[in-house]
Amino acid sequence: MSVASRETDIYRRDAKVDHNLLTPAERERLLKPYLPTPPTRSPSKRGRKDGIPSIRIDQPKGSRLGVRKFLKNQLHALVYTIVHAIFSVYIRFRQAYHAVKDRIFAILYYHHRTPELIQKDVKGLSRLPEHLSVVLKLEDGGRGGAGLEALVDEVAEIAAWCACVGIPMLSVYEQSGILKGYLPAAHRAISRKLSSYFGPQHPALSLRAPHVPSMESPSSPPTSGAPGPSSKTLSILLLSSEDGRDSLVDLTKTLTEMSQRSKLSTKDISSDLIDAELSESVMGEPELLILFSPSVELAGYPPWQVRLTEIYHVQDNQGVGYQVFLRALYNFANAQMRFGR
Amino acid sequence: MSSMHLSQLHKWMLSSPPIEWAVNQLRELLIGAIRQGPVPQHIAFVMDGNRRFARSHKIETVEGHNLGFEALARILEVCYKSGVKIVTVYAFSIENFKRSKYEVDALMAMAKIKLQQLSQHGELLHKYGASIRVLGQRDLIKPDVLEAVDRAVELTKNNGDGGLLQAFISSSATLLTDSNYTKDPVQESQHFALTFDIPYTIKHIRRHDSISTTTTLHADSPNDGQEGPLYPDPETITSSTIEEHLLTAGNPPLDLLIRTSGVKRLSDFMLWQCHEETEIVFLDTLWPDFDLWSFLPVLVEWQWKQKHIEEKGSANGIKNSKIKVR
Repeated sequence: MSVASRETDIYRRDAKVDHNLLTPAERERLLKPYLPTPPTRSPSKRGRKDGIPSIRIDQPKGSRLGVRKFLKNQLHALVYTIVHAIFSVYIRFRQAYHAVKDRIFAILYYHHRTPELIQKDVKGLSRLPEHLSVVLKLEDGGRGGAGLEALVDEVAEIAAWCACVGIPMLSVYEQSGILKGYLPAAHRAISRKLSSYFGPQHPALSLRAPHVPSMESPSSPPTSGAPGPSSKTLSILLLSSEDGRDSLVDLTKTLTEMSQRSKLSTKDISSDLIDAELSESVMGEPELLILFSPSVELAGYPPWQVRLTEIYHVQDNQGVGYQVFLRALYNFANAQMRFGR
Repeated sequence: MSSMHLSQLHKWMLSSPPIEWAVNQLRELLIGAIRQGPVPQHIAFVMDGNRRFARSHKIETVEGHNLGFEALARILEVCYKSGVKIVTVYAFSIENFKRSKYEVDALMAMAKIKLQQLSQHGELLHKYGASIRVLGQRDLIKPDVLEAVDRAVELTKNNGDGGLLQAFISSSATLLTDSNYTKDPVQESQHFALTFDIPYTIKHIRRHDSISTTTTLHADSPNDGQEGPLYPDPETITSSTIEEHLLTAGNPPLDLLIRTSGVKRLSDFMLWQCHEETEIVFLDTLWPDFDLWSFLPVLVEWQWKQKHIEEKGSANGIKNSKIKVR
């Protein structure tokens, strides 16, 4: 039996009897070989208590160990370079692998702008989110509106998929909030996209943004007066970073003011109240959040509302794709909802 | 069964002295190498999967938590050696308290014993500058455990910058009022998860007169209130005011949040802190299995990304705007 596992064994036996087996001194002796050099980094002749320990000190102390330390540092730097070189190669391969995989998925599952196909794709799913949220990123390359146009198109595509699947609520987060300035145009674009999927009788559409005199538009379906089968409504909410922290700050201001004027007791301020206020002024808690970015970074997404949201992303994925959307839904249906840890 | 044998063989191989030595050297080397690059200053862990680990290994749940604690110790060692300043772990969530009484009691007993044991080694903690804070809803903890908590916290309070372990006791909804009861502005002047800071902030701003001596309020102290003469103007509240009233106030921004066992949710943990530029990583490993070898790739990838951000930032000044956001 090796030293380490023997010591682990001793530790566990000690732990089993609530650490009464060993005295603190014995325990420290047991631990000794594993302790790193004390943070002051100076040889042991230095007293234990002097100075404030700091682990960041790396400058050589000019002692006789300087050379050894220098060499050690060099070795570490070398290993660092090697590790990162290997990692760069690895990550290229991983990205390539994921790109190929995503392509294959994209070919296998393509929507062909046919609602029936999309409905077939999600038929087996045990549950669907009532409120789906996506994070999009404005790719501003040209500054000439190309990025904006692409963004609007992405919103429209996702809206169309949601309409097909039957998700009634979609919130679109984009950090800069540029979309909020183009509500009517976006509404037109989405309507157009919906009709390209559904034909003339597409579901009603309402597009709004918090704090913006909302485009109170229960859709302007081209063939109005035909409630028919497509009486479902899709509501889309456009969010930006100001709906995150800023809205919380605003709420804090309001509540503070109210409580300063004694209109509201601080006892009454509960998370339920904040929940209610925020879900009224911004939105409720989404059940599923889809990120189309290569890694999970919330980029200022409303923090209050994500507390229990299932966050889905595809590693190394770039850009909006139907397959990501679909995989997120699959994942959502399979995941067992376990609150807490 | 075969996996059992394999793992036995594996263990036997690994425990032969030369290999053990080599592995240890390799660990040290890699950790030393990590130090050469940018290192996240603040990492948060959601230690998820102890129960599942216990279930899949057919051991008692409590035993799973014990192994989870060992994993935490291992990871803290890595963090310490690689220069991470603050580690925040999600110790108990309110949902944990809903589990069987037996399990909760065992968890509590474990926390108490470990903390007591820790308190016996004050000297050692001091030497390394390690400190511990327990944040969150203290009234959920039993009094005897709380005593151990307080002792450990007190003991390590002045241990500065060696490394800080923060443990969270949290819940989702019920906590809010709790923050109003805070008595000690130093220990509890920060509130942790987003859920709780608003009333807390308000409370503090309302009581501004009585606690104006604390430094935590300097953001809103320069102004003179317009309503009552005692209250600062609510209009001066900014997100940094809220930040200063979080339990994690004064911490560097959260760089990395790791949740194990494949659950892709934040579960009320560090919401305010992690929703901007924090890299969130969901791993499929169960927490007791989590060690250097699963942690290292995450760290290296983080460093790799950091380098890319820097390159990009110097290319088109994104960094400036990022700093401004902070």
